[in-house]
Amino acid sequence: MANLIDIKDLHASINGREILKGIDLTVNEGEVHAIMGPNGSGKSTLSAVLAGKENYTVTGGSVTYMGKNLLEMQPEERSWAGIFLGFQYPVEIPGVTNVNFMKTAVNEHRKHNNLPPLSAAEYLKLMREKLAIVEMDPAFSSRGVNVGFSGGEKKRNEIFQMAMLDPRLAILDETDSGLDVDALRIVANGVNKLKKSTNATIVITHYQRLLDYIVPDIVHVLYKGRIIKSAGKELALEVEKRGYDWLINEIQ
Amino acid sequence: MKNYIYTPRADYFKCRVPLKEAHQAFVVDGQLQQDENSALQRGENGKGYNVVFKRNMHAGQILQIISVRSHDLENTLEYKNSITVEENSEASLLLCFHTFTMNGFETKEELDIDIAQSGRLDLIIMQNEHNKSCHNTAINITMGRDAICKIHVITLHGGKIGNEINIALNGKGGECNLHGLYLAGGKQEISNRVNIYHNAGECKSNQLFKGILDGEAITRFSGTIYVEKGAQKTEAYQANNNLLASDGATAYTKPHLEIYADDVKCSHGATIGSLNEDELFYMRSRGISLDEAKLLQQQAFANATIEDIANSELRERLTSLVESRLRGEFSDCEKCDRHCC
Repeated sequence: MANLIDIKDLHASINGREILKGIDLTVNEGEVHAIMGPNGSGKSTLSAVLAGKENYTVTGGSVTYMGKNLLEMQPEERSWAGIFLGFQYPVEIPGVTNVNFMKTAVNEHRKHNNLPPLSAAEYLKLMREKLAIVEMDPAFSSRGVNVGFSGGEKKRNEIFQMAMLDPRLAILDETDSGLDVDALRIVANGVNKLKKSTNATIVITHYQRLLDYIVPDIVHVLYKGRIIKSAGKELALEVEKRGYDWLINEIQ
Repeated sequence: MKNYIYTPRADYFKCRVPLKEAHQAFVVDGQLQQDENSALQRGENGKGYNVVFKRNMHAGQILQIISVRSHDLENTLEYKNSITVEENSEASLLLCFHTFTMNGFETKEELDIDIAQSGRLDLIIMQNEHNKSCHNTAINITMGRDAICKIHVITLHGGKIGNEINIALNGKGGECNLHGLYLAGGKQEISNRVNIYHNAGECKSNQLFKGILDGEAITRFSGTIYVEKGAQKTEAYQANNNLLASDGATAYTKPHLEIYADDVKCSHGATIGSLNEDELFYMRSRGISLDEAKLLQQQAFANATIEDIANSELRERLTSLVESRLRGEFSDCEKCDRHCC
């Protein structure tokens, strides 16, 4: 299994406050990693830093993605290279329709791979195929991006976009937050359908519930900007039962 | 149905394909060119035009009047035009302003519009000149009882553009919808001054002006709504939103209400903002490059002013013109091969 991403001693801060204090994480092709941790432990910061959000400053360490220095790449370059961030709070873009948004994104990816843009018919075919993965009505495509979408629709839209862009490494930030049981099942099924031996997923979550559907190979617990424990999927069950305190006590 | 490439003179409009449902007329340096549409006549001293839409007439075609400045005239050009929409008549007009000279020039134009009782006017003004042009337009509109007008003023390009729009709602039940879009870059200056006079009760007016500014452009919007003492049950709304796409651009906005009646609904709102960082990051995280993400956001912002244009072909052409303009493709007029409108 080839190595996809290698994070070494990553430090990052926002407004001068250090949030990530030395993250080490390696993800290989075909793997599903889960990152759990109490509020404020740095889970969302880690995903934002990997996607290239500008208000975070990397103050130390390195991130190598498919042999390249990820930290030097612009957010769009990371996307072209196969990184996908599923947002905890998907952004609403009034006035830009879902279809226009995704068509532009898909064609920018194609341009980067020296492929001609998709014709309207080709795009529609691809779109319908991918909408089906998350059981979304094609009527969504003519609406503004995430505008007036329910919590569940927004998250399904994230997984639809992931399906359209076919990433190598998907980072799903709290994709389960705000979902009822049915939406959770649909979203998780979508992620599972997209799983291949050549891609990998990092699932960031508060709860074990999502991991019943998306079964991780490795579970990490993040606390105060560091990974304090990594183990198999049974770690998630233990966290669900006992909380984080016993782990925190263990390191102290 | 006309679908030919029309050029009144060989060096103008090399690539102009008319809208399917439009009758085109040309005004070159203030002179109305030979025209078969009998409703359209030359104005005072042979300059400008007068057009009358006769009583009970239904709008068939769009009357498109294309005004151009050529290299034959270097002086300031001043002229007056008038549009009359008679009782219960329906008119659809598209006024386009272009230039085919790269020289600097100044145009001062007046347009008087009278819409009689139950008359309906759909007016679209498209201003597309160049950086050295200076164009002042004063539009004075009087509206009778139950008259309706819908106006779009779209300023795509120009050095110094000044629009003054005065609308008097003189009869009960009148309704006027005014949308404006101004796109200013470089050192361009665009100003829109709007005065709406609610002289009679039970009328509605609605204004939405939006601007996108780049470079060191300066725009001014000042809008006043006057509601006369007896004009009860007036509804008047005004909004002006500006998007600054650069640090050097300046947008001035001055909303103003003067209300002398006590049973009215009026509001005004003005905003000056910049591009939304969260939206930009979201788009970039999907592989949309920064320039393209900015463009999508600007188009979305502008679209609210043109999405209600009734003629779909015209709406699509204007949408595509706005896109080209935002992409900076208008910076060189000599190489321009746009079909404009």
